[in-house]
Amino acid sequence: MKRLALLGLVAAVFALAACGGDDGDGDGAAGGDVRGDTVALIEERGALKCGVTDTLPGFGFREPDGSFSGFDIEFCKAIAAAVLGDDAEVEFVAASSSARFELLSAGEVDLLSRVTTITAERDASRAVDFAQTTFYDGQGFVVHADSDIYDAADMGGATICVAAGTTTEQNLDDFFNEQGLSYTPLSGEGSEPQDQFVARRCDVFTSDKSGLAARIASLPNSDDYRFLPLTISKEPLAPGVRDYDSDWKDVVSWVVWGLINAEELGVTSANVDAWAADPPNTAVARLLGVPFEGGETADLGFAVDPQFIQRALRAVGNYGEIYARTVEPLGITRAGTLNALYTEGGILYAPPYR
Amino acid sequence: MAITERPSSLPPAAPTPPWHRRSVRNQLFQGAYLIATALVIVYVINALNLREFGFGFLGDPAGFAVPNQWLIDYDGVTNSRFVMYLVAIWASIRVMLVAIAFATIIGVLVGVARLSSNWLLARMAMLFVEIFRNTPLLVQIVLWYAILIVAIPPIGEVFNIGNAYYLSNRGIAIPWPVPDPGWWNAANWLVWVWVALLAAAGGAAWWVRRGRIARERDTGQPHYPNRWAFSLFAVAALVTFIALGAPVSIDKPIIEGTHYLEGMIITPEFAALVLGLSAYTASFIAEIVRAGIQALPTGQSEAANAIGLTGYQRLTVIILPQALRQIIPSITNQYLNINKNSSLASAVLFADLFFVAGVFQNKTGRALEMFVLIIVTYMLISLLISAVMNVINARVTTHRV
Repeated sequence: MKRLALLGLVAAVFALAACGGDDGDGDGAAGGDVRGDTVALIEERGALKCGVTDTLPGFGFREPDGSFSGFDIEFCKAIAAAVLGDDAEVEFVAASSSARFELLSAGEVDLLSRVTTITAERDASRAVDFAQTTFYDGQGFVVHADSDIYDAADMGGATICVAAGTTTEQNLDDFFNEQGLSYTPLSGEGSEPQDQFVARRCDVFTSDKSGLAARIASLPNSDDYRFLPLTISKEPLAPGVRDYDSDWKDVVSWVVWGLINAEELGVTSANVDAWAADPPNTAVARLLGVPFEGGETADLGFAVDPQFIQRALRAVGNYGEIYARTVEPLGITRAGTLNALYTEGGILYAPPYR
Repeated sequence: MAITERPSSLPPAAPTPPWHRRSVRNQLFQGAYLIATALVIVYVINALNLREFGFGFLGDPAGFAVPNQWLIDYDGVTNSRFVMYLVAIWASIRVMLVAIAFATIIGVLVGVARLSSNWLLARMAMLFVEIFRNTPLLVQIVLWYAILIVAIPPIGEVFNIGNAYYLSNRGIAIPWPVPDPGWWNAANWLVWVWVALLAAAGGAAWWVRRGRIARERDTGQPHYPNRWAFSLFAVAALVTFIALGAPVSIDKPIIEGTHYLEGMIITPEFAALVLGLSAYTASFIAEIVRAGIQALPTGQSEAANAIGLTGYQRLTVIILPQALRQIIPSITNQYLNINKNSSLASAVLFADLFFVAGVFQNKTGRALEMFVLIIVTYMLISLLISAVMNVINARVTTHRV
């Protein structure tokens, strides 16, 4: 009898706690309880936590002195400047490809800026929302210069180094199955696939083309390697934010679009001060959040004040400047690629800032 | 506790409060403990938000490939994640089996060598133990891998022995017997003939062994029952196998471009993992063996010497059979450690079950489900190893010395 009473008590406790836990939790998102106002969170903390990669020269790389450099890093700085007014207030967190979404959903980072491809599955099933694409990429292959591999058909039976848990790994499998070729994958994390390729453990190294170029350029004998004239996938690389925070996503997307618009309008880090004081036209005035010829300042209703793009520009310059500073030194030219402005044959087409 | 009568001279006692009674207190404590546990469980379940908990995602196609395939033919487009997980479990089990075999052999040899009267041998064994026991396993595995990748020639300069054995950084390729699928099926009556012959040979071997054991007991002279029985069975199996046409072809590896075809291929990843696990665990097994031997009274060795046994006989007939009682339970723990430590595979790019489960978890975000699955898998393998070792232990401890 006593035991029965005890059981009843336990059941009651369970029921009570279960009811309590159901409140305010009705959207069914798995994992991650940090959601809502990331902008306020960043302002309160006084720093932006940016999840980056630290092994990819040109995109996200930890320099020997501990500082970070690269294309994705510049966008972290731009967004920190936009929200906090200081591009130094970024806390870089090395986010591995396997842990990145968990870091984001657990609130360890506010923003993922680390060569992450938008995919439907990630958008739908993970606690991540993608902001505007910063870099349009595609998957390519690199081989040793003395290799007999010149085309896809030559890769039959090859050992291929690839990063584990990436879209690259899946594209690779799809591609080889479509081609009816066999292959042996060797997958690992971080710089492991690259190291094994250099050690000739694999015949082929595959990744996003920009990443491949960046990694190969960083090697001492970059002439020992050869790219295959082959692109097997679309890889739009975009910053990621947590689900259910559209204010924050708007800020991130519009910093990206703002920097693209700035390039289109001719605003650079060199002339932003002069043009903020005396904007040449209304479009520039709106973008920089300043009044045009004694008029009103347009407040478009972002979660940050209207001058956020101006601050980002002052910190890192426009899209073209970022590209020239970080990606071009790797030998990846911009003209004629997808990442040129739409007016110059690319697909960078930012919506109007108004 | 006996309750004694109070002396009548004292004033009547105040009624004892119920919480002074041990039974009541015990129940209160137990109740509080249960409530606290229940609260913790409920909190965890709520925090994890288990509403979407389920394993349905394992039925979806995996969409990627792993290099080490064994027992299961696999492709990432049509096969489900679950099949992929099975492939990975087999990869892990293969590592464990090989590592257990190597660690046991090396461990016993080194353990015995440590007690050798040969100064150099004993010191070498001690050096082995101290090096491998005192450095982290992860470091050892990564180091083995680095050594292998640097030391062995690239596939372009493959080390070729008689066009049958190859060594390169694609791995070691050796000829391997492949059963002839046309012969090996249940419809072929010759298979059943061979099975019947094997059964007969087994029976004969058992009968010979029994006879020799009896003669040994009667005469006190060695008649090697196990050696005879095993040889008889092996010879019979081999002769009948060849007589029936030896339906196994030996696949010699060949090199095509930059990869091996056919044969058995041992990749550097597999080799590094097995070397690391074997050497590390062998150093512990060596100490267990040494302790087991030293725990025996010295009289056992002295008696063996006194009746004129050789050093080898002393070890195999007197010392080890007794020491095994001490050794086996501890070695079981080491085998369980091999199971658990095999999860370090991803450090050397070997796609074991933990690595593949990690990729699933990364792709689907089903961290909780995958960790439940990983834990259950390792536990099942551990329990299986324990069960086998318990059977062996039971046999050893009832062994007549």
